[in-house]
Amino acid sequence: MKEIDARGLACPAPVLHTKATLQEEKPAAVKVLVDNGASQQNVQRFLESQGFQTALKQQGSDYIIIGTCGSEPGEHAQASTVPEADVKKIMVLCATDRMGFGDDELGLKLMVNFLRTLKEMGSDLWRLVFVNNGVKLAIDGSEVLEDLKAYEKAGLKILVCGTCLNHFKLLDRKQVGETTNMLDIVTGAQLADKVISL
Amino acid sequence: MVFPADANVIVGLDRADDAGVYRISDDLAIIQTVDFFTPIVDDPYWFGQIAAANALSDIYAMGGTPKTAMNLVAFPVREMDISVLRRIIQGGVDKLTQAGVVLLGGHSIEDRELKYGLSVTGFVHPRRVLTKKNLQAGDRLVLTKPLGMGIVTTAVKAGMAPAGLVEYVTHLMALLNRSAAEIMSGFDVNACTDVTGFGLLGHLAEMVCGSNMAVRVFSRQVPVIPEALEYASMGLIPAGAYKNKEFRESMIAFADTVERSHRDVLFDPQTSGGLLISVKADQSMELVAAFKNAGISDAAEIGEVLHGHEEKIVVL
Repeated sequence: MKEIDARGLACPAPVLHTKATLQEEKPAAVKVLVDNGASQQNVQRFLESQGFQTALKQQGSDYIIIGTCGSEPGEHAQASTVPEADVKKIMVLCATDRMGFGDDELGLKLMVNFLRTLKEMGSDLWRLVFVNNGVKLAIDGSEVLEDLKAYEKAGLKILVCGTCLNHFKLLDRKQVGETTNMLDIVTGAQLADKVISL
Repeated sequence: MVFPADANVIVGLDRADDAGVYRISDDLAIIQTVDFFTPIVDDPYWFGQIAAANALSDIYAMGGTPKTAMNLVAFPVREMDISVLRRIIQGGVDKLTQAGVVLLGGHSIEDRELKYGLSVTGFVHPRRVLTKKNLQAGDRLVLTKPLGMGIVTTAVKAGMAPAGLVEYVTHLMALLNRSAAEIMSGFDVNACTDVTGFGLLGHLAEMVCGSNMAVRVFSRQVPVIPEALEYASMGLIPAGAYKNKEFRESMIAFADTVERSHRDVLFDPQTSGGLLISVKADQSMELVAAFKNAGISDAAEIGEVLHGHEEKIVVL
């Protein structure tokens, strides 16, 4: 592997050395040594812009960036092209722990069932937000706690309203999700393709 | 550290603004500022102009009119021809003349590394002082120059920027914020600063700290030198941009949709950057239109100040 020692050099010199080496020797893999964070990030950006895959190691105060040429042309592109237009961002906003009005017992059952069935949305399910009475679903003793924990473990972002937890004095009983504020909720709603509100 | 105080200090060190302001009488205060740096372009004449435009900018950002200036020079007289220094100072003087400012004197020392800058004094009415610290909920944020100067000058240093772009960015940095400031004075502006070394988000963070407000920035509306995005993705980013990011990261939330090179540009340190203005919402469009009419064609509304939130910058 071609090695480039760019320690002791300030930006943009490490990038320029790397660039020159790539142009002159066209190596399939390079190892670049730098001694500061800015150069490390710049060299990584540069290698990635040239179609290299990068890995980073730290050695004392030095950084080692390993760049390898993306295997077969096309393969890399294929991996990253999940057809983006098909993935929707759905935000589910639960402002209650009951589904609908009328019988409370039935309402709770329906809510539990609803939250368990949400997984059928697959990767379209993007945010799950609990506000007002909804926060009671994210505390100890909640019937869906284990389901919510499983969602979170699978990478779903669960947000729980801090003002609401505080209001019900449940702050220390929250068991799942990140405590959030109205700005994050509003921003989430703005970025989502669809908001389902209960 | 404790600094000596005085009842006439309107803006002092305790609140770290663009410049200091001192009341002379009920209807007159002086604004004082100083700035100097090492060359950022190869041409000495243009370096002089940029250094002067940059030093004057703090006065404009405080709502004042610059009046007098003093040179600060560090020059390697043994290694460099004195004609270089003459060109730098000529650039500075020409820029001051354009701004209606007189040069009263200065000081020079011998140094291994060339440095040039100015100390500038301006006038302002004590009740018309504009600071960073007065964001009002609902205000709109307006920026008058495009971002990316630090990244483009890094590409210039790397020998990767075409001549046309070098000329463009040089003129951009040498452009006075004078007419922008004059136009702004006709509107209800609540807070203002100029975008320099901390980058857009660094300077915005200074406005947000202590305001009890959050702001929202629409990254796609922020004027940017298009080539800067390309250079950023190639790693031609000044180290200062990473420092700016590290320093303020905790109070900034990026939407997933904001690309990395766009984030980089928002932290890019600027030299003699544009004014960042917080204006009453219903006057924002008119203000931007007035800028464009005056030839400040990159001016744009880039964000808004939100009602009662934790101090945070949300970038969409």
